[in-house]
Amino acid sequence: MTTPPPMNTPAPLRSATWRSRSANQTRLAFGQALLELGQEDPSTVVISADTQDLLGIRSFAHDFPERFVELGIAEQNAIGVAAGMATTGLHPFVCAYAPFITARSMEQVRNDLAYARQRVVIGAAASGISLGVAGGTHHALEDLALMRSLPNMTVIVPADVTEAYRATLATRDLDGPVYLRLGGRVEEPPVGDLEAPFQVGRSVQLRSGGDVSIIACGALVSLGLQAAALLHGEGIEARVINMHTIKPLDRDAVLRAAGETRGIVTAEEHHLCGGLGGAVAELLALERPTYMRMIGMPDVFAVIGPTTAVREKYGMSAAGIARACRSLPGLR
Amino acid sequence: MDPARKALLESLEGKARQLRRHVWRALRAGGSGHAGGSSSAAELLVALYFHRLRLRPQEPDWPGRDRFVLSKGHANAALVATLVLAGVVEESVLDRFYGFESPFGMHPDMKLPGIEMCTGALGHGLSIGVGMALGSRLQALHFHTFVMVGDGELHEGSNWEAAMSAAHHRLGNLTVLVDYNRICQSGPLAEVMDVAPLAEKWRAFGWQVVEIDGHDLAAVADALDAVPLRPGCPSAIIAHTTKGKGVSFAENTHLWHSNNVDEAVYNRALVELGVP
Ligand SMILES: Cc1ncc(C[n+]2csc(CCOP(=O)(O)OP(=O)(O)O)c2C)c(N)n1
Repeated sequence: MTTPPPMNTPAPLRSATWRSRSANQTRLAFGQALLELGQEDPSTVVISADTQDLLGIRSFAHDFPERFVELGIAEQNAIGVAAGMATTGLHPFVCAYAPFITARSMEQVRNDLAYARQRVVIGAAASGISLGVAGGTHHALEDLALMRSLPNMTVIVPADVTEAYRATLATRDLDGPVYLRLGGRVEEPPVGDLEAPFQVGRSVQLRSGGDVSIIACGALVSLGLQAAALLHGEGIEARVINMHTIKPLDRDAVLRAAGETRGIVTAEEHHLCGGLGGAVAELLALERPTYMRMIGMPDVFAVIGPTTAVREKYGMSAAGIARACRSLPGLR
Repeated sequence: MDPARKALLESLEGKARQLRRHVWRALRAGGSGHAGGSSSAAELLVALYFHRLRLRPQEPDWPGRDRFVLSKGHANAALVATLVLAGVVEESVLDRFYGFESPFGMHPDMKLPGIEMCTGALGHGLSIGVGMALGSRLQALHFHTFVMVGDGELHEGSNWEAAMSAAHHRLGNLTVLVDYNRICQSGPLAEVMDVAPLAEKWRAFGWQVVEIDGHDLAAVADALDAVPLRPGCPSAIIAHTTKGKGVSFAENTHLWHSNNVDEAVYNRALVELGVP
């Protein structure tokens, strides 16, 4: 097994051409990155759970038929098979729906991947409420809590297609299992610098500000930037941090934000219990108690509806994040 | 044919056509949806609801009612269309498919009357059906439980845990209907993951099996009349069907497992289904 490189080594960006391709959703960027990994690394294998279109992996299946394994609608089996393949030296990428591959396969993920420390990447599409109209059975609002609770697990939440592509490439240099949280049909606007390197465990500060810090992941990063623009109009300067890696958490960035601004607002498309907000709060409670607000899904099952409308209902919007920032002591 | 039977079959045929029109209307309202698996199940659903199930439409919670669980929950549009035809759900609900805060989304939601279980994650319904059948027996409620599963859904191992338990507990009051349209989400089962030989699998798990043409209403009605196929034994009706049945461009292709439906597509579908 390879040892992970130190966190400060940037994962090299192997493809300069990928942006000319057509992925407009993070789940599809994952599938495109697999093509590049497949060319570079003969140990790359892709496992489908009847998800060939969901994660855009038909081209991998076409180019590397012998390294493509379709296992049907059987997520528990998919994780177990991936673990077994990993023990033989292969690097499996399991392509699945976030709600099923986490909740349904949790024991296989815990024992066969995390406990046994197998080098397997889970590409988890349709996370959060990206399939809003599909209802509660298809919302994944607890997946970060589940995956984050496991020792040895790396948990990454890309904010846009470029980051999803780079994060997928970066998993090659990691040891142990990786949970890569991807979206559905919603096209998230690009955030940040297209040329910036992606480093697992190293957050990206997208905007500087000394009044309040917005720490966000996934789809909420661009909403955090919009919230910062709103606040700027009111004379409040918000720092915006893209915390794309939930585990291991970028402690330095969180502690710096706590020290340099008056409070922290976390924002994620996940239950308020156990996700990014939980991770930040756990760190700060022990090391630097700080005023916090959390944006995310309250302790109810989300209603059925289009993703943006459902997000807004529960405060996962630029206005909701800005409101939370204003409500911090000393910020009115 | 017995005139009463003939009248029944004619009425069911009309209902099946109406069901398909309702499905496409809902998909049009939502902008997309699962036409394939909703359409393959149409005859099975109308024969169940308008011939076999003992229900009280005005009292959807009647404890003695037969239970139906749509385990392949992505065919919810077909189930809700059936409940509309049965008078359990208001017709206007069809136009709220995928709407904000609607009770009618991609998968069955118990917020709507007549929906027995929130399904959608595949491979749950049969276990739930085993529980309902045990509940019926333990409390002498004398209802029968029917569960519809997809053939691709049978990839999930949980189905076979449920199947084993149903036979072990001699659940003659449980019937599974397999919508055997031979296509799942990514393509034909034969390429993705085969479930054949299907009848032999259910038999090996202790079930009594009948295989029918799932679009032949006479065969469907006969099979439903015949269950339990053997006392003290769960019954499996394997219905050979066509995914997307009724609308030529949606038939027999995984591309219509779920797809976009705009006004033009809707109109083309309705031409084939006959305008009421
Ligand atoms: C546990 C789980 N995994 C994956 C899915 C995504 N999914 C929804 S429908 C479907 C294909 C189902 O095929 P089949 O059971 O044959 O249904 P039908 O052809 O009758 O529509 C898949 C993979 C799901 N809903 N639940």
